[in-house]
Amino acid sequence: MILISILIPALTGLFLLLGPEWKNRKMLCFFTAAALLISVAAVGVTLALTKDSGAIALFNLTKGLPILFKIDGISRFFAVMTGIVWTAAGIYSFAYMSHEQNEKHYYGFYLLSYAVLTGLDFSGNLITFYLFYELMSLLTLPLVLHSGTKEAIMAGLKYLFFSLAGAYLVLFGLFMLNRFGNTLTFTAGGVLDVSLIQGKEGLLLAVAFLMILGFGVKAGMFPLHAWLPTAHPVAPAPASGVLSGMIVKCGVLGIARTVYYLFGAEFIRGSWVQQVWLILLLITVLLGSMMAYREKVLKKRLAYSTVSQVSYILFGLAMLQPASFVGAFLHIGAHALMKCGLFLVAGAIIYKTGKTKVEELSGIGRQMPVTMVCYTLLSLSLIGIPPLAGFVSKWYLGMGSIRSGLWVFDILGPAVLMISALLTAGYLLPLSIHGFLPGAEMAEHNVEKQEAPILMLIPILVLTVLIVVGGIFPNTAIEFIMNIVGTLFKEVVGG
Amino acid sequence: MKDYILLALLWPFAGAVLTWFVGRPWKSKASEEQKQDKAVEIKADVCRNIFAAATVLVELLIVLGLWFSNGLADRLGLTGLSGFAEIFGGEGQKAGKAVIVYWQHVCGMELSFAVDGFRGLYALITAFMWVISTLFSFEYMAHYKNKNRYYFFLLLTLGATVGIFLSADFFTMFVFFEIMSMASYVWVAQDEKKESLRAAETYLGIAVIGGLCILMGMMLLFNEVGSLSTAGEIGGGLLGVSGGASAQSGIQRGRVLAAGILMLVGFGAKAGAVPLHIWLPKAHPVAPAPASALLSGVLTKTGVFGTMLLTLRVFFGNYNFGLLIFGLGILTMVTGAVLALFSVDLKRTLACSSVSQIGFIFTGVGTAGLFSGSESVAEEGYIMSLSGGILHMVNHSLIKLVLFCAAGVVFMNLHQLNLNEIRGFGRKKPLLHAIFLAGALGIAGVPLFNAYVSKSLLHEGIVHLQEKQPALWLKAAEWIFIFSGGLTAAYMTKLYVSLFWEKNVDADKQTAYDEKKRYMRPLSAVLLSIAALLLPILGVAAGINESVFNFESLWGALLSLLIGAFIYLLPVRCFLMKDGKYAEIWRPEWDLEDRVYRPLLHGLELALSTVCRFLDRLPDYLVVGLRKSVYKDSPLPHELEEGNVLTHAVGGFLDWVKQVLNRTFRRKRPIEISFEHKLAMLLEQAKENNTLIGRSLSFGLLLFCIGLLMTLAYMLMICMSTF
Repeated sequence: MILISILIPALTGLFLLLGPEWKNRKMLCFFTAAALLISVAAVGVTLALTKDSGAIALFNLTKGLPILFKIDGISRFFAVMTGIVWTAAGIYSFAYMSHEQNEKHYYGFYLLSYAVLTGLDFSGNLITFYLFYELMSLLTLPLVLHSGTKEAIMAGLKYLFFSLAGAYLVLFGLFMLNRFGNTLTFTAGGVLDVSLIQGKEGLLLAVAFLMILGFGVKAGMFPLHAWLPTAHPVAPAPASGVLSGMIVKCGVLGIARTVYYLFGAEFIRGSWVQQVWLILLLITVLLGSMMAYREKVLKKRLAYSTVSQVSYILFGLAMLQPASFVGAFLHIGAHALMKCGLFLVAGAIIYKTGKTKVEELSGIGRQMPVTMVCYTLLSLSLIGIPPLAGFVSKWYLGMGSIRSGLWVFDILGPAVLMISALLTAGYLLPLSIHGFLPGAEMAEHNVEKQEAPILMLIPILVLTVLIVVGGIFPNTAIEFIMNIVGTLFKEVVGG
Repeated sequence: MKDYILLALLWPFAGAVLTWFVGRPWKSKASEEQKQDKAVEIKADVCRNIFAAATVLVELLIVLGLWFSNGLADRLGLTGLSGFAEIFGGEGQKAGKAVIVYWQHVCGMELSFAVDGFRGLYALITAFMWVISTLFSFEYMAHYKNKNRYYFFLLLTLGATVGIFLSADFFTMFVFFEIMSMASYVWVAQDEKKESLRAAETYLGIAVIGGLCILMGMMLLFNEVGSLSTAGEIGGGLLGVSGGASAQSGIQRGRVLAAGILMLVGFGAKAGAVPLHIWLPKAHPVAPAPASALLSGVLTKTGVFGTMLLTLRVFFGNYNFGLLIFGLGILTMVTGAVLALFSVDLKRTLACSSVSQIGFIFTGVGTAGLFSGSESVAEEGYIMSLSGGILHMVNHSLIKLVLFCAAGVVFMNLHQLNLNEIRGFGRKKPLLHAIFLAGALGIAGVPLFNAYVSKSLLHEGIVHLQEKQPALWLKAAEWIFIFSGGLTAAYMTKLYVSLFWEKNVDADKQTAYDEKKRYMRPLSAVLLSIAALLLPILGVAAGINESVFNFESLWGALLSLLIGAFIYLLPVRCFLMKDGKYAEIWRPEWDLEDRVYRPLLHGLELALSTVCRFLDRLPDYLVVGLRKSVYKDSPLPHELEEGNVLTHAVGGFLDWVKQVLNRTFRRKRPIEISFEHKLAMLLEQAKENNTLIGRSLSFGLLLFCIGLLMTLAYMLMICMSTF
């Protein structure tokens, strides 16, 4: 079943890429929509039918290195989020891509990358994970390159090289773990062989750090974040949405797997790795927000915001503490929805007005009221205003880090989150304010309403509703994450 | 009970959405004529107003229901004011325990609500204030644009505010607090003028920063104490001198104190305590009058409520925290009053007056906090200053409703707020005169009016504290208190005299003012009269109840009024007036926000952004650095030639054709393009693209090599360990 759910989008995507040109644009969209929905449904069925214990070994690369699929709590969480984001952005694409060229190409890679992400979510060991991780870097590249401008090509190359550099750091870790671990299969609590690592803790810590750094490239972690603000804005809006929404989270997934399932939280807790990592994360949080605050182009601003927000998530993971772990996973979900939604809004604005800079968008709220209301709600959530989803995750992140009792970081961490939240308000709200309150002179003449097409509005609306409902009733998600926490931490802390 | 509270909370939200939908101008496509559109709009207006009125009235009924079902109405008779102070300890505690309802699994925690003395009281005040100001808005807002937006956010804020006052823990309070702050932002920016937008920006900035401070403090507090509850049993303070939770191990006093101060910043900013009062004098003059009444009458009180909870529940028995609040109160009281005295703008004066009155309330809360440090909690002084504080909150809410609405009537007619412009407007308008006078007498603390009672109680509280603890600073505080009372009387006299007795400098204007007979609609007149009548009624009733009509209190009030008369007659008439006009002595440049806060924030932002920019570019700088040093491009051996053989050949041929053509067919319009050059340029461009990609490749290869090196290092290690 796992295989089927990966193969459906993969094969349909390949068919689109290699198959004949479509004469009718509508048919192409229908085909893609059907393929996408069937794939998402297949993932849903897989999640419903497969039990956590089962693992499918596909074939062995060499002795003891199988390609292995397994489903556990984290897989489920990521698979669901991926499904939501891909469906929303997919539906949106049908309207948005109508004014771009070479749609067939785009849809093909869109489906292929969905297949790869599903594979990534379901990977059972590091080898499989690495395989899909590299595939993902390569297959999402065409999404960045899509417009074919010089700027896009340069951005794409930057993306590729940063990804490769990160991947090599991971590969290095893979070799080392193969030597010092019992197995490469993800196991809660870690796989390190105690007898083998005796006396070599220092080396392994260094390896752990390099792996975190390597996966951190995808997650936009300082100092290897530079590709993100370059690559995300040049992609078509729905592609930016999935890039910022889910692809960066794959770096997070990689780090979560490394820290919690390969090395084990106990191994890293209290070591220099944790401290240096935390420092890097706090720098990233501030840096992302500050750069976003100074940025003029809306999509670039959102990309910098992603740099900052993903480090919130990693900060929650780095605390190695149950409550902040819950916060991190809540924020994975919340941020995926919010950022995808915001990029879709930015795309809708470009689609309708062709304007990209924030200062040009005065009075946009009069033109596209529904879109901008969604934008405002999503922004408020990203700042962390209750009762929206972003607040809940921030509450857990803050509580977790204060509770960790970690030297200095327990107070500094939340304080940095607060400053970053202030900056977030500073870079997101002005668009709402000038959009809806353009000033008395502007308010005089009647602006014509030109709302985005319905296919673009619906995904934005759905994401917004999810954020609001998820903020008021987040309990299902919290309980689900608590189950994961239960397998990872000995002491389960409630609340 | 549970459903009832939920109804009280959710009804305004539902009402807001409904009202918005009803009020939308449903423009049908058939009616393209302007007149028809106008008619549709008016129809929508009427429908919306009816809906908004229904919403606030029903909300008032719901809160009244809450009130009666909890037996709060009886309590007024039984225990007097102290019954409303029960959640802060003291005698009223015996009166009954609050029922706490929980709404589980919301927002990641649980929301809890309670209806007890103070909460019930303020829910009622809130609902009442909203009824008056919403109904008054119908007339006031009639000529505004975007009315739909205004009513939507008005009702939204009602729900959030009721939520704050009914909340039984800080978390719930915070959730509604943020909704309130965000929703009320729109009021300030309503008319979208430049200064409104700037004031709104200040308001939003303060709200966001304050909210984040509260959140941070709340997290710290929750972590140390394990509970954020603000209702139910009072278990001594956390840091109290006498036992309480401070005796428990594991609580870090420093952190709790930091939490308290952070939360105080947030709540104090909302309340308008100096030095975070900056938003009040800016936001009030530009907001619509009914919104100003609510901002000053109710929204600041949410900050006061938070401060009270901090002082008298979290830090109950902590002398130093009490002292902090007391000091803040005194400072706010004087600063606000002095600012008000200097102001020549009607609504700005009222806004500064609000700051000052909040200072009075803080002083009361601080006095109670100072008492709470002593052994016996239920001392007379504690009860007195606390009930004085609460009563002054109520009084101030009601008085400011009257005064701001009266100011609204003036603005509605004249669209001016400057005292020199509006001077003499009130002459020959007995109703407006009476309404404004009631408010002015009320706030100045004249006996038989309401603020007299609360100010007397506050004063007596300080006197009691002096008896217990004779100290010079307390004596000084008492005199500052009386002096501030005098300032209050003085600036209210200034407003009153200029509006209702003096004639305008411009005689034509004065005749125009005098002839204006219909200056408000009957509905507004009735509403304002009701609100104004409440003041003396409350003054007499509460005065008898609290037995403040004694010599001591009357003497205190008289002293204040005498000081007020002196201040008005001497400094105001002599120094603050020039050539018969109210002079602007207080320069706009002397602005705390423009001089201190904004430059400070900008400076911080600049410093941080410089560092961040450097860090952001760090990887790029590294690459550039390498390119300039190790991977430097070799210098070009000779000047590159333009184009290659092919472009020369083809270009040359085309140029020859061109020349031929120019001489034969196109002698009149010769072609002037040099094809040789053009082709060469095209080639150059293609080459450049290739080099760009190639150069980035080298950068990538560099990174690739790092990875490869790691792998090699690993292999080496394997070899080492094998041999």
